[in-house]
This record gives sequence, C-alpha cells and structure tokens, in this order.
Amino acid sequence: MLGAMNLAMNLAMNPKADTLVNRCGRRVSVGAEPTALLWLGDILLATLGDGSVRRLSRGTDTALWMAHRGAILSACLHPDRSSIITGGDDGAVQRVTVDGQVEQLGHFGRRWVEHLIASPSSGLIAAAAGREVAIWAKGAAEPSHSYTVGSSVGGLAFDGKGKRLGVAHYNGATLYYASSATGGQVALNWVGSHLACAMSPDGRYFITALQETGLHGWRLPERHDMRMPGYVAKTRSFSWDRRGRWLATGGARSAVLWPFEGKTGPMGRAPLLLAESRHAVVSRVAFHPREDILAIGYDDGAVLLSRPADDGALDVDLTGAPIKALSWNAQGTRLAWGDEDGRIGILDLEARMPLPEARP
Amino acid sequence: MAPAPSIPVTVLTGYLGAGKTTLLNRILSENHGRKYAVIVNEFGEIGIDNDLVVDADEEVFEMNNGCICCTVRGDLIRIIEGLMKRKGGFDAIIIETTGLADPAPVAQTFFVDEEVRARVNLDAIVTVVDCRYVLARLADSHEAEEQIAFADVILLNKTDLVTGEQLQEVRRRIQAINSQARLHETLNCVVPLQEVLERGAFDLDRILKIEPNFLSEDDHEHDDSVASVSLTSSVPLRPERFIPWLQQLTMERGQDILRLKGILAFPAEEQRYVVQGVHMLIQGTYQRDWKPDEPRTSRLVFIGRNLDAAALRQGFEACAVPVS
Repeated sequence: MLGAMNLAMNLAMNPKADTLVNRCGRRVSVGAEPTALLWLGDILLATLGDGSVRRLSRGTDTALWMAHRGAILSACLHPDRSSIITGGDDGAVQRVTVDGQVEQLGHFGRRWVEHLIASPSSGLIAAAAGREVAIWAKGAAEPSHSYTVGSSVGGLAFDGKGKRLGVAHYNGATLYYASSATGGQVALNWVGSHLACAMSPDGRYFITALQETGLHGWRLPERHDMRMPGYVAKTRSFSWDRRGRWLATGGARSAVLWPFEGKTGPMGRAPLLLAESRHAVVSRVAFHPREDILAIGYDDGAVLLSRPADDGALDVDLTGAPIKALSWNAQGTRLAWGDEDGRIGILDLEARMPLPEARP
Repeated sequence: MAPAPSIPVTVLTGYLGAGKTTLLNRILSENHGRKYAVIVNEFGEIGIDNDLVVDADEEVFEMNNGCICCTVRGDLIRIIEGLMKRKGGFDAIIIETTGLADPAPVAQTFFVDEEVRARVNLDAIVTVVDCRYVLARLADSHEAEEQIAFADVILLNKTDLVTGEQLQEVRRRIQAINSQARLHETLNCVVPLQEVLERGAFDLDRILKIEPNFLSEDDHEHDDSVASVSLTSSVPLRPERFIPWLQQLTMERGQDILRLKGILAFPAEEQRYVVQGVHMLIQGTYQRDWKPDEPRTSRLVFIGRNLDAAALRQGFEACAVPVS
C-alpha cells in the first residue's frame, strides 16, 4: 500500500502521466449530487440529492434504496461502523444498513435535517434541524434529549472522544457535554453567521467558518479568539490529519493547512498552502487516515493527492463539475469523490498499477 | 466549463390579507408546464402538491462587511443551497415573505452571497396591495411603504371594493413612492403571468428604459417619507465625476436609498452605461450601443426615504458639465 502510494506520488513528476483514476480506479454516474460518500470497509455508500442511497462495491454492484422523500442533506457513519445515518429535507433521520434496510431514528416534522455527526468513541449521534440539536445516546433508537440554540444551526462537531459537542450558529457557537441534557454549556461569542465547524481531537480548539469567508477559532478552555482569514469562498470542508497536528481547510485556491501542534496552535503562525490552482477553489479536503497525504477536490472537478512534506501532487481526476464529497476508507486503501452532476470516482490503491508506457 | 443556467427567483410581498397567497395559488395552478420551488412563511395555505414547498424561518442577520445596512436572510442562503441538491427538480423559485417583512434583506441576499449569486438570480419583487386599506397602511406602517418602494411590479388588488376616485388616489400615492413599478389593477390577482414572472427586473441587460416620472415638478405632495426622485440630463455625464459621486452617495445615504436605477450617457462613449442598486449595493456595466435615433439622455431614479431631491439634482448636474 505504501509502495503504491509512493509510486503514485513519483508519477507526478512525469508530466505525461495520465490521471490516476484511469490507471487504478473507476467512475460511476449516479445522476444526483452526492451529499456524502461513506465507506464500510471497501463498500461505498453514496447518499444522494434524489433521496436514494447507492451501494458501490467491487464489480458491477450498484444497489439503490430510497431512504428519503426529497434530498438527503446530511449523512455520516453510524457509530457501530456497520451502517450509515442519513438526514433529509423530509425531516427524517434514517439508519441504512449495508444491505439496504432502512430504519427511522427520528423525525423533525417539516424541518430539514441539515447536519448529522456521530462518534464511534462515545456512540453518540447528533442531528440538527433548524434551531434544534437532537442527541441519541449510545445504541438509542430514538433521540435521548435535545438542545435549542438561538438561531439555525450552521454546523456540528465532536471532539475525538465524542463527548464535547460544538454547535455553530449565528453570533457564535455553543459547547455542550453531549451525553448530558443540561450540563456544561459554554457560550463562544463572535458576531456573524457561523457555518461549518471543526473541533480538534483533543478538544482544545473549536473552529468555525464564517458567512463572510474566513475562519474563527477559540482556544479552550480560555476562549481566546483566533482569526484565520485569507479565503475567497466560504469554507465547507475541514479535515484533521491523523495526529491532530494539521487542520486542512477548503475555501481558497490552495488547500490551507493550519498548524495545531504546540501550546498556542495557529496563533501568530502562517498556514501551509498546498496545491494551488490557478482557476479553481478547493471545495473538499480529506486527510489520508494513515499517511501524510491529503486528498483535495476543487470546484472545477479536479481531484488530486498532495504530499504536505514537499507539496508534491498527483492528479487523480478532472470530473468537470464542483467536487461535493471526498472520503477515504478507514484503511486508506480507497478514495471516493463525487461531483455536483452525480459523477462518482473511486480510486483503488490495492489494484495493480501499470507503469507508464515506455516511449521510444 | 459552461456556467450552469441561473434559476430565476420571484419575491412576493404584500401586507397581510392583500392577496399574496391568492396570487401564489394562481401561479402554481396555471398550466404553464413549469415546476416551482416555493419558499413560504405561513405554510398550509397553499393547495398545490405538485410543487416543492419549503418553510422559511425569516432569519435576518447583518453581514460583517463594514456595510451597516447590509442585512441578509440566512435561512434563504441555506434553503437555496439545499434546493440545489435536487438538480432538475424545479425551474424557478418563488419566495413569499410575511406581511410585515422588509424586502431589503431578501433582495440583498441575492447580491451578497457569492454562492447564491452563482446559482440563482433575483428576477423581480412583486407586491400585492389591497386597494381598500393601502392608504391606511401607508399611514401607519413602515413596511407597507417599503414593500411598495422596492417593487418592480405592483398588483392593485380588490379594485372592486373601491370607487374610481379612490383607485385614482391609490395610484397617485403609489406612483409618488415608486415611479418605476408596473401597476396592474386586478380582481383576485388575475393578471397574465408573464406580467409577474421572469421580468428580469434586476438584470442589467434588461434595463431598457426608465419611465419618466409622471408627476410634474410642482406636483410633489409629501404625504409619504418614501418617494421617487427622477433626474435627467441631455448633457453627457463625465464618468470620472459621476461614478465617485454615486459611490459616495450610496455609502453615506445608502440606508435611505432603497433602490436606484439609471441609464447613462458618457461623452464619446458609444455604449449605454446602466446601473442599479439596493441600499449600498450597486452594480453597473456598459450594456449596448446607443441606437442612432435614440436621444442620448441620462436618466437616474432614486426611490428612498427622506431623499433631498434638490441636493440629488445638484450633485447629478455637477457631473454633467460639458467638456471644454
């Protein structure tokens, strides 16, 4: 696996090298925008804007199940890691198994379920619809308790243990101890509309994306503010590297990586900029789960692998429409990406990779 | 990569009971072969299952962009983003606002958010007015005034419930506030749909003419603090004066300027310069060549609150100094 990756990275030096998807990947057209691409081992479940879940595994298997009436707006892996959870604009939260069984976990009436996260460490699930955040305790088949914030939820994030929950909203964010219906609320105030968010695995930093572009961060527990500007579009995607040292972000022409090692994290430090594009904005980022490799998707449909150590890059695909989902499987042997027009690509790094043809 | 076709958005405003929902149901039930996504505040009054109906929360917030009057509708940004996942599911969007809504945050949402701008375009603001009560509403409600001031199309509804004389008074008052909107007298909001939908009222390419204000100079009766001020000049404007003047004006007085629209002639310039704006947000571009028989007259209209017509005229005329 490591050999394959290094070979792949070295191919980047060859300007004639074809995009990697043609060598050891495949493309599938599913006809609707993927909201998430979720791996169960080497089986991919794609949750789509037409309300369906598509299973894409080896060979020609393309099972399809309708999980929602309307669009799937949010989805994540179930904490059991053998099924997924989906939230729709029909107000439903569903659990979908790998063989297509659909079970309802909750319903929010006419409100849209726009955010869903789950933690395998704590077994908690959190879903947001409008101003309400519902929490499912480990193994619960219906919500255990819920919180209401002052305005619609912009994003949700758990720390690494799945205990601390951050809820981004207008004029800041609120932290909760998610297993408790009452305790541990902390208000993080900053004017503006706070959207997608991320919490460092150690729970010491909470970062939100702002409507006006740029990030705002808080160092915890002191609640020191951090401004992280320099973006041209709203940041929609965050990814921590496997050691929690870097936070990769979208919303600029490069992938922007903020350093989080040391006592003060990114305060007073410049970010690392990777894989700058001349004409596109980074829409999705996903760190490899086991190596220092970052997958990057752009709003022109480009997908590439980037090596932070030397900014080496390898072209994976160019789909032609904004990349909306990008994810590695847990072993890091497969990468999936999907664009707004419903084109999904899968890279299989275990597949045998033919060498470039020798030229006379 | 070819840009995705932009989806038109029609905003329906009007005071409670004026007939917004009647108009909405007419639009949806007519056999036009188009599918609408409808964003509503009071769900349950729409009797059509065919179309996609979404609840809005009317969450108005300020942008942190240094522009004090720049408020947007956060819920609309989210809803439009969510709707875009259903590609091909609808052809156009209609937003029904509550009776007490100020149209500015709705309009500004379509100028300020880049992602919304890339996908959809504000087509027109349509205001439904109840002829019986509109004069009373204008006296006691800020919002009723703003809804008329912002409109591109106004339906004078329930004309059967007023006398001809009362209707004339309603028309006069409305035109004093907004000299540019198209007025239609209706019963039960019966109006050809092409008069309401896909008007391109915010499209710079479709600003074709500016209606001269029908009021003569000394006819101004200041019943309302919101009024239209029309300026014209047959002497070409000097862009190096006009552009900074307009920028300064909208920066200083943007809170009071609800809408503005202009077609301008610059010296030795073959093309018409068109400009339009909502509060502090202005857009301008060269549009097309002046036609040979078209008088090169510059026209600029402000619709706003407590506008100082004399000062505006003076500022405008100072841009029209002939090049010596």
